[in-house]
Amino acid sequence: MPVMENETGQYEKSKRDFLKYILGGSIIAWLAAILYPVFAYLKPPKQGEVEVTSVKAGPVTTFAKDSGTIIRFGNKPVILIRTSSGEFRAFSATCTHLDCTVQFRNDMGLIWCACHNGKYDLTGRNISGPPPRPLDAYRVVIQGEDVFISKNA
Amino acid sequence: MNRMMLRLYCLFALGLWSAGVVIADDKCLTCHETLGDNPSTLFKHDIHRTKGITCAGCHGGNANSDEMDQAMDKNAGFIGVPKGDQISQVCARCHSNAEKMGQFRASVPAGQLERLEASVHGSLATSGKERIAQCSTCHNAHGIVSVRNPASPVYPLNVVGTCTTCHANAAYMRTYNPSLPVDQLDKYRTSVHGMRNGKGDPKVAECASCHGSHDILSVKDVKSAVYPTNIPSTCSKCHSDAKHMKEYKIPTDQFEKFSKSVHGVALLQKQDISAPACNSCHGNHGAGPPGVSSVSNVCGTCHALNAELFSSSPHKKAFDERKLPECETCHSNHEIIVATNKLLGVTPEAVCSSCHSPSQNVKGYAVAKAMRSLVDSLSTEEQQAIALVREAEQKGMEVTDAEFKLRDAHQARLQSRTTVHSFDEAKLREVVLKGLNATTFASDEAHSALDEYVFRRIGLGIATLIITILAISLYLYIRRLEGRQRLGEKNTPTFPQR
Amino acid sequence: MKPLWRRLYDWVDERVQLGGLVEFMGKKYVPIHRHSVWYYFGGVSLFLFLIQVVTGILLLLYYKAGEEYAFESIQFLMSKVQFGWLIRSIHSWTANLFILTAMIHMFSVFFEKSYRKPREITWVTGMLMFFLALGFGFSGYLLPWNELAFFATKVGTDIAGIIPVIGKPVMIFLRGGPEVTGATLTRFFGFHVAVFPGIFTVLLGIHLVLVQRQGMSEPLDEPTGSEGEQKAMPFFPNFLLRDLLLWLIVLNLLAILAVFFPWELGMKADPFASAPAGIKPEWYFLFMFQTLKYIPAKLLSIDGEVLGILLFAFAGLLWTLVPFWDRKSSRGERNRFINYIGLFVVVYIMILTIIGWST
Repeated sequence: MPVMENETGQYEKSKRDFLKYILGGSIIAWLAAILYPVFAYLKPPKQGEVEVTSVKAGPVTTFAKDSGTIIRFGNKPVILIRTSSGEFRAFSATCTHLDCTVQFRNDMGLIWCACHNGKYDLTGRNISGPPPRPLDAYRVVIQGEDVFISKNA
Repeated sequence: MNRMMLRLYCLFALGLWSAGVVIADDKCLTCHETLGDNPSTLFKHDIHRTKGITCAGCHGGNANSDEMDQAMDKNAGFIGVPKGDQISQVCARCHSNAEKMGQFRASVPAGQLERLEASVHGSLATSGKERIAQCSTCHNAHGIVSVRNPASPVYPLNVVGTCTTCHANAAYMRTYNPSLPVDQLDKYRTSVHGMRNGKGDPKVAECASCHGSHDILSVKDVKSAVYPTNIPSTCSKCHSDAKHMKEYKIPTDQFEKFSKSVHGVALLQKQDISAPACNSCHGNHGAGPPGVSSVSNVCGTCHALNAELFSSSPHKKAFDERKLPECETCHSNHEIIVATNKLLGVTPEAVCSSCHSPSQNVKGYAVAKAMRSLVDSLSTEEQQAIALVREAEQKGMEVTDAEFKLRDAHQARLQSRTTVHSFDEAKLREVVLKGLNATTFASDEAHSALDEYVFRRIGLGIATLIITILAISLYLYIRRLEGRQRLGEKNTPTFPQR
Repeated sequence: MKPLWRRLYDWVDERVQLGGLVEFMGKKYVPIHRHSVWYYFGGVSLFLFLIQVVTGILLLLYYKAGEEYAFESIQFLMSKVQFGWLIRSIHSWTANLFILTAMIHMFSVFFEKSYRKPREITWVTGMLMFFLALGFGFSGYLLPWNELAFFATKVGTDIAGIIPVIGKPVMIFLRGGPEVTGATLTRFFGFHVAVFPGIFTVLLGIHLVLVQRQGMSEPLDEPTGSEGEQKAMPFFPNFLLRDLLLWLIVLNLLAILAVFFPWELGMKADPFASAPAGIKPEWYFLFMFQTLKYIPAKLLSIDGEVLGILLFAFAGLLWTLVPFWDRKSSRGERNRFINYIGLFVVVYIMILTIIGWST
């Protein structure tokens, strides 16, 4: 491209500027396109961290004697029982019959499934109704003030 | 004697011989009869004697001699009174020998002892020295007659008495199996079978009809005729035989219908012994069809919640008043098929329509219609949610939260089917609403996953656009730069020589 | 008023005396000839390595090394962390592309015989970096602790174990025990993020300093001096800008791959489950893996696999030492023999990789 000066000097200059503007602008846009995902990545997501082999159920005092609570363990429900003597036990809350979620019934003193009246005793064994197998047991550990549920080793 | 008489005598002897009656040669019997002992009295009418077998046929010895030493000579094979297993061995000498049985033109099959030895009764008695039962235990030793003879202890009308000699004796049964019941006879007499049997009908079922005779196995034995998976075919031996059942005027298609039902498929095809067989609903020894107002209780032994809800629903009174058998009216008795949403509602194929119409039982009509639309909406929503979640999962998005919520929807669907039996619209609505909440959550999660999927592609497009513009402008910049360089220098730079 | 960058430069120059360095860099030229295109591959490899460092550091902020959480942490990263899917897929794709471009770079240098005197050290450091890259690939592959990786590691370390004499100790060292366990994962993590990067950086430093110091090598068969001049372009800014342009396009390619072909995670490793069918290593190991399958079980009373391993080790050693036994090239003479060897190796690797991939 021949170098033109004088009148067309401005023409040259403006073309040069135009390209420099595009170049500069697209560099900035590119940096933004790189840095935005990086900064979004660095921000920790709501669920603080992954927890699947062990779950903190909560302080011991939140669980009354002779009660049961459903806790989420990864993507499965677990029922945490505190017996009348204060002992903690945890079982899979998925009924072994047709996968409904069981509940603790302190009027019956056992674990009950609302769907088809299946009953499990407080050791997880299926004692009445359609469930064919006992509930899987989970390990309960009390560390300090908190109750932790983990998979049975 | 003249020739005529001789010929007649020969013919008569021939006739007697061919009939197999040889009376003259049983000296044992003659002697013991005069002694007046019971076995010989009984033996006079014994079928074995009719077939020409003497006392020596079982006891050994020489039946032709009336000298005691000769007749009861050990060397002639005399064994005296056989004891324990020896008894059955003696019977088996002929009865387990098909050839011998053929010689006597017997109609009974051979091999009963083998079957007995493999059965429950073939186990050792408490003494440890012999089996629990010998042939004579049920058939007696002397005076044995055909099973078709009303005098036989194993004639259908007498079987019950024979079996209960041991099986109704609690003290005796305790020595073998304390948990085995001993009240079968009492129950049996309340059943249709027992009542007819008591009245003298030899065609109805008695102990041996279901349990077998020689090959009786424990109920827990898979090969037993009364093992749960075998019970339907055992019962249908009579109950599906149209000829046999002709005079009783009850249907004979129960087994056929049952085989097609959910219970039948579960029990017979899937071998699930928690599924009901005939006796689960009709009883074992006290077998009879449940009464109209107790059907719900019977089904309710397994389907407890449904029965409870039904019994407190308006249908209980309505059905009982009209003498409609409760569960059976909608679900049938033997041919119970899978209940789908279609069973409920006011369409022609729904059972509710049989009683409820816009002009008849109008309140129930409205409830039926409403309940059907509720369960339909839950089914549709759940299916849609599942499809959305699957789609998002297939596209590589994370959907574990949504899947977790879908459990609740699944649970609501199962519970709604049970709650239907309360025929209470408000109760059903409550359950269905819980399910719909779950499906909405799952669908929302799936939608945001799919949105994220699109977002990524759009994001890529924008980034590509930016990069392309940058690349082009960079390229142009290089071109311009090099153009200026070429013009600015007279020569292209030389590369340093090696 | 001097522009900002000028003032910054002067501030540093007053303290560090950059003048000599800048002048030297300004004199660097890149020859232009019909094989010039291959010059770019070293730069692209470097770019991809830098991508790995950056994405690797980002992944480190969320990855949990350890049997219990490794798999779940990546699942978490892919689903809950914003753009986590992007960082991870780029890291996995770049690993493969890095090895590919490194191989292209290596072969182009081999065919051009640029390893000849005075560039022997450059070649050797490059080869060592290549072996490290394979090590990066092997160790990084295990880190998600998924089924495929677990069994590939088992097979791979098993093969290391059959080296005569030192094999077993080496295997136990690699595995952190006799079997592949969580200890192996911890160990591989250490190799992958600390040991290998450290060594690699040193080698890379030497390699780059040498390239800058010695300039670009020229092909042997270009006419020297007959026309008097050869075309060349200054490294700064021409070649560098072209490099950047290419890198930009490669970056876009990575983004496209990450979006349309996201890297799979599969199932969590279960040491007690049986191996799924069709376990095979990543493509860059396939040709060796496939070759081992073809060697008969026993050859002249030597175990077939051992023979195979030793053969490859020997071949690798020869290849690394080529500047020292290829005398002809060092003298500036054409060496067709090298071309034939190189061609054979390229074709062999390609064919066996394809066979290994399709079975």
